[in-house]
Amino acid sequence: MKIEQGQTFTGIEKVDKYRALYYAGASGDYNPIHIDPDFGKMVGLNGTILQGLCTLAFAAKTVTDWAGDPGKLKKIKCRFSAPVMIEDTISVQGTVTEMQAGRARVDLSVVNQSGEEVLQKVEAEVEI
Amino acid sequence: MSIDTKFIGKTYPTHTYEVGKEKIKEYAKAIKNNDPHYLDDDFAKKSKYGKIIAPPTFAVVFGAHLIEPVFMDKELNLNMAMLVHGEQELEFFEVVKAGDAITTTAKISDIKNKEKLDVISLELNSKNQHGKDVSRGTYTFVVRK
Repeated sequence: MKIEQGQTFTGIEKVDKYRALYYAGASGDYNPIHIDPDFGKMVGLNGTILQGLCTLAFAAKTVTDWAGDPGKLKKIKCRFSAPVMIEDTISVQGTVTEMQAGRARVDLSVVNQSGEEVLQKVEAEVEI
Repeated sequence: MSIDTKFIGKTYPTHTYEVGKEKIKEYAKAIKNNDPHYLDDDFAKKSKYGKIIAPPTFAVVFGAHLIEPVFMDKELNLNMAMLVHGEQELEFFEVVKAGDAITTTAKISDIKNKEKLDVISLELNSKNQHGKDVSRGTYTFVVRK
């Protein structure tokens, strides 16, 4: 695949009711804030929230689907800026901002269905 | 109480994690990633990797075994009720394959005391059984005061 500066790509994930439970089992992150709606309400949230690293994994998947080879993803970083709730829909858009030294730098926008950024400063580097 | 900056540089015991093929599949399904590199044995065998590989972010699965001792560290005494995951950075080198034994080291790379919160960063470095770097992770947690 030819990668060019300015190129964009997208991905979308619906956070189904049990996603945080599947992620807890797979990752070992059983923090009650992710699996217990009563606990979520007790700490002022409207139920459980998805593990931030699961949202980051959605963003990484958008990049590796686009790159075609998971081994080409060399770096990804983010700031966790807003909780992702059950039933949210997460939209990811990547833009190639720079091509240098065999790497494409990609800036990612990761927002919920209201357009709120759930991750910020999301940057990835892909081998070209 | 602020986190004492004297803990910058503190290291934790290394941990070796055996990467199971079925665990990779479980993780890939959990993140809704159906890439055949992770799930399809026949595809994986014919791929350039020759076997099932782990999604890059699987690094947080073996990484978690190093984060827990930091959270449980009585000397450091983090206020877990006030702690949230602030930032994450992951760098990837060699691809992680099913059957690999990944050895990870962890250290506290930074502590910042601010007026209303503390910020603590952990750096994890992981190598495979051939001594090759597979990933470096920087986990940044924010603890409100």
